[in-house]
Amino acid sequence: MPRLATSLLREAYAIHPCLPLLLRPCRDLQAARNELRWLCEHAGKVARLRRAKGRDADPKQLLKRLVQERAAGKPLQYLLGTEFFGDLEIRCQPGVLIPRQETAASVMHLTRLLRAALDLPPELRVLDLCTGTGCIPLLIADELTRCRQDVQLRLLGVDVSDKALRLAQYNLHQTQRKGRLSDTAKVAFIHADLLMEPFDVQPAQTLCLKKAMNYSRVPPFWDVFVSNPPYISPAAYWKTTTRSVRGFEPKLALVPPLPADPATDTEHGDIFYPHLLAMARDVEAKIVLLEVADLAQAGRVAEMAQNMAIFDGIEIWRDQPDQPAEERGAQPSRFPIIGQGNGRSVLCWRARGGSWLGKGPSPVSPLDDARRLWESHRVSSSFFDFKFNSRL
Amino acid sequence: MPPLLHGLSQRCLPARTTLSTAPFRTVLHPLLPRAFTATSLQLSKQMPPRRVILDNEIIENFLRGSGPGGQKINKTSCAVQLKHLPTGIVVKCQETRSRQQNRKIARRLLGDRLEELELGEESRTAVKGREKSKKKKSAEKKRKRKYRALEGKEAGGEGGLEGQGGEDAVDGVEEEGEKVTGGEKAADGGKGG
Ligand SMILES: C[S@@+](CC[C@H](N)C(=O)[O-])C[C@H]1O[C@@H](n2cnc3c(N)ncnc32)[C@H](O)[C@@H]1O
Repeated sequence: MPRLATSLLREAYAIHPCLPLLLRPCRDLQAARNELRWLCEHAGKVARLRRAKGRDADPKQLLKRLVQERAAGKPLQYLLGTEFFGDLEIRCQPGVLIPRQETAASVMHLTRLLRAALDLPPELRVLDLCTGTGCIPLLIADELTRCRQDVQLRLLGVDVSDKALRLAQYNLHQTQRKGRLSDTAKVAFIHADLLMEPFDVQPAQTLCLKKAMNYSRVPPFWDVFVSNPPYISPAAYWKTTTRSVRGFEPKLALVPPLPADPATDTEHGDIFYPHLLAMARDVEAKIVLLEVADLAQAGRVAEMAQNMAIFDGIEIWRDQPDQPAEERGAQPSRFPIIGQGNGRSVLCWRARGGSWLGKGPSPVSPLDDARRLWESHRVSSSFFDFKFNSRL
Repeated sequence: MPPLLHGLSQRCLPARTTLSTAPFRTVLHPLLPRAFTATSLQLSKQMPPRRVILDNEIIENFLRGSGPGGQKINKTSCAVQLKHLPTGIVVKCQETRSRQQNRKIARRLLGDRLEELELGEESRTAVKGREKSKKKKSAEKKRKRKYRALEGKEAGGEGGLEGQGGEDAVDGVEEEGEKVTGGEKAADGGKGG
């Protein structure tokens, strides 16, 4: 990282003695001033609350400590305890990934499309795998129920981390408490390891998704399937993540575990996607939205989805899918690329999903759709999982 | 469906149809400069509705900068920039930590600028400016006093020495934990690290 110019540091110091420290993580003065303002407000709030409890609190000291921690790279969201995700304020805690604005943008674009759908089922079921803070199901509920009181929403978040699940549950309670969760939406969170196969030995506390869903008595079929899985390869983790991410956010949320079979670095980063796509098929999802790291990964995931031969359409979304497409010369891509920014997610749809998204009715008859699902089950190894589980 | 339905400024519920007229929700209040909010709420009763900005009139940019995004970095800035195509006016907002809120503020700023351009002296901002100038001064003073107290250039009389512990509070959970009805497990979920 280039060193900060002395003149800039001096200018910052003249404004506030804490600012030079904040320039370290922020790099530019405006960003540092914003953070200082938010940290000041936070210190003031905490001090007031402590005094109300009869404890001593000096906002100045609090602020100093917050600024020092921030200068050492601790994410602002962990210091302030929350991050905004759409219109929701989501609680954040070390050990659980901080929700990203790009994720919110994809999810909100999806809900914007769904809000306009004329033929949503009376109960729309949304499955979010790798839910972390629970931000995605809570945002979908917030965005959809606002205009679609005619639709009952059932949302399920899944994660392997107990810490994440506790936080997700907390966020659910808070959202309810603030009156921001409509009665027409039911949200729940369950524990499962998505990389575990039904044939694997299931350790006492961990189940594969299918067994966890059976165990919790949730329905086996889901309409909308969303996931922001760990997608960073080990090499990219060291080369492309920021220090603040590496030093303070959980690696479990970012880098998939070491694969059993030998794999290239790229394959390692992609591990979750074939599993997710197979699960999307098994729950007969009609819309699938998977977050990815960039256009290259988007292309690979879209290809995997294409090879399953169960979808009517597949497209790639950039960071701002609601903006007019970026003109960067002719991109030789097999899949339409929507919006502006980095490649951010892959959207797939089948059966009634196309008409929910405003893409028109499925060109495939329900019978042929059932056939292609069955065919895909049969050719993939999870055919056996399917048979086994349906006997349970 | 035409693009109208997709836009932020064209939401389905009347209360939220135009971003600019929707009153701010309490959840987001603490993050806004207080004087600003209060004044605009009061005044909006006496004033004609704001100019509606159509989505196809503007280009919205989240100023994410170059380089990777997503899981690889955790940004704290959610600056929003709007460019009004017919006039070329550009406004930017990075006031709050909420991108949604910044989008709303940016739209309002743009609306004000456009109205100024179209109506001149009759515009809301001009009227508001005149009415506000008195109030503003005192509010400004108050804010400065508060800020100075925090900055420590003028140590606040109530402040004591910082006691030990309080790690939880610094992590921001203390305040929320208190509001959660007692004995809930979920509250503990937020606590402790
Ligand atoms: C990138 S984070 C996404 C969190 C949240 N959905 C968001 O967008 O902010 C990935 C999440 O996947 C979870 N995870 C990692 N490995 C998993 C596995 N094998 N099974 C289930 N969840 C897993 C992590 O605990 C983490 O919460």
